[in-house]
Amino acid sequence: MTDGIRSSATEQSLALDALADPTRREILQVVTDGEDTTVNEIAAQVPGVGRTAVSSHLRVLRVAGLVTDRRDGRFRRYSVNQRVAAEVMEFLSGLLKVSLTDLASSQRPADGESSSRGKRRPQ
Amino acid sequence: MGNVVLSEHQVVDASPEEVFLCFGRSRQAGWLFGAECDEVQPGSVVRLALPMGRLSGEEVLEGTGRIVSVKPNRRIVLQQETPWRGTLTCTIRAEGPKRSRVRVTSEVPEDAVAWLMRRGGADPDREDDPDSWPVGLLVSSSGPASVLCGASVELAQMAIEEINADGRVAGRFLRLEVGDDGTDPRRGAAEMLRLIEHRRCQVVITNVISATFNALAPIARRAGVLLIYAPMNEGGLCQSGLFRFGERPSSQLRGSISRLMRETGGRRWYLAGNDYCWPKAANRSARRIIERAGGSVVGTRYEAIGRRRFEPLLEDIEASGAELIVSTFIGGDEAEFERQCYEYGLRSRTQTVALVLDEATRQHVGDAASEGLWSPLGYFEQLPTAANEQFVKRYRRRVGPYAPPISSLSESVYEAIHLHASAARKARSWDQSAVGRALESGVFDGPRGRVSVRDPSTVDQGIFLARSSGGGLTVDEQIA
Repeated sequence: MTDGIRSSATEQSLALDALADPTRREILQVVTDGEDTTVNEIAAQVPGVGRTAVSSHLRVLRVAGLVTDRRDGRFRRYSVNQRVAAEVMEFLSGLLKVSLTDLASSQRPADGESSSRGKRRPQ
Repeated sequence: MGNVVLSEHQVVDASPEEVFLCFGRSRQAGWLFGAECDEVQPGSVVRLALPMGRLSGEEVLEGTGRIVSVKPNRRIVLQQETPWRGTLTCTIRAEGPKRSRVRVTSEVPEDAVAWLMRRGGADPDREDDPDSWPVGLLVSSSGPASVLCGASVELAQMAIEEINADGRVAGRFLRLEVGDDGTDPRRGAAEMLRLIEHRRCQVVITNVISATFNALAPIARRAGVLLIYAPMNEGGLCQSGLFRFGERPSSQLRGSISRLMRETGGRRWYLAGNDYCWPKAANRSARRIIERAGGSVVGTRYEAIGRRRFEPLLEDIEASGAELIVSTFIGGDEAEFERQCYEYGLRSRTQTVALVLDEATRQHVGDAASEGLWSPLGYFEQLPTAANEQFVKRYRRRVGPYAPPISSLSESVYEAIHLHASAARKARSWDQSAVGRALESGVFDGPRGRVSVRDPSTVDQGIFLARSSGGGLTVDEQIA
């Protein structure tokens, strides 16, 4: 999966749609519980679903950003996408940074003083 | 992942006094320093517009919080409540005549980190406690309805601890599993599935709005999960394993409409609310009651949840000559509607009964703008019973003075959890069909008095009409 430029609203929908299918949810659970699992290993743990079906479900999960894969010789190995934990940290510190940079620019003389004291107006 | 503590600092071209003064005054100062706040003092509610960036589809999420401590020109501490819980500390130090170093520290607890990760697409909860029964709780921790649900998780946790202190239920202790619908039915459905399939809940209690609840009912039916709807609702299709405990619109409206018409001599009503199933059902009920009482409906209007462009509505209310208003807006929308009615000048010629004006929403409306508003609910934090006083004390002892107030929407969750556990004890089983059968004759003596389940969609309870005055909701009379 490439981290290409993609509308984040679509990303949300993709993830929700990917999770709408019960077999896909089961496959995601198997990938989550396992470590670096192959399609064969996953198919073995999801009874009644063949290799081809598992592959196509994994593709949907990959496109939705929920699993990530890497090549290992002839095999593709799947794992849960750990980028989310890093993204949360990045997001929280970015949030603090922007709260300060916005404060700083609002206080700069060139940008004008912040608006007058008094009751908040509705939007 | 445990608690997360992060800190950033920046030099600002302003004295500490100027920095402190700008807090809560102007949106230009950013999401934190420009948060909406009527008065910078402990206990004041704060409204934040959080830029979510790539974590959540570039949305700006509405957040709420409360100021916890203030040291003028030195420090402001803020407890963020929604969309995730945490503490924000801003300190200001002089570094020169017109220079300050401003530091912001954020402390985000574990469950909030988990919420953020779920928002980002992951599912971080993996440990399962095999020795406890999971009780699912679906609330609106984010989105417009989040104003209503602030105390719900804490009260639910308190109920679970009280139940466990009395011993096991069907052989095990209970634990709480929480989901957030974000005031969105699709997200609610996904969270319901997560609670059932990943967290293994066989019972889910919820106080989300009806729009989400209607998406949950079929999921519960297919999975054989017991679903309890705690807050006010319009009723609906019966299905086995589904219970509705909250106030019905007709119970809320009958006594309110007659009281307001008596009080003001007014006859002309305007019905305004959010655009989804519950307000529409409530207004059908309102119309019937109004006409039977000799009044007339001079206007009806619905606004999409979250839209908050009320000028056309306010103009319409004024043009209609309405003297009385029924509001079925919810959460942040209700808060904004009432503020705008006040600023538009409608209070001099109209009185309003709002069906979801609870203590938390009233705080967001503000004291001046909420003065005189009527609210008919089954529970108020100020209900003067010994049981309620003890209950509120227990809650405050857990959360301190600055946590969100209790209201009918959160107290109903507390009661539902107790009712369910009692039914499970009576049935001596966690099999939810057996528990459901026992629940059909459930009785609980709690903060609002005796609550008896008459059938899966009716609970016998009192309804109280309260009025907003002097910074709170005071019960005026019992109307049902």
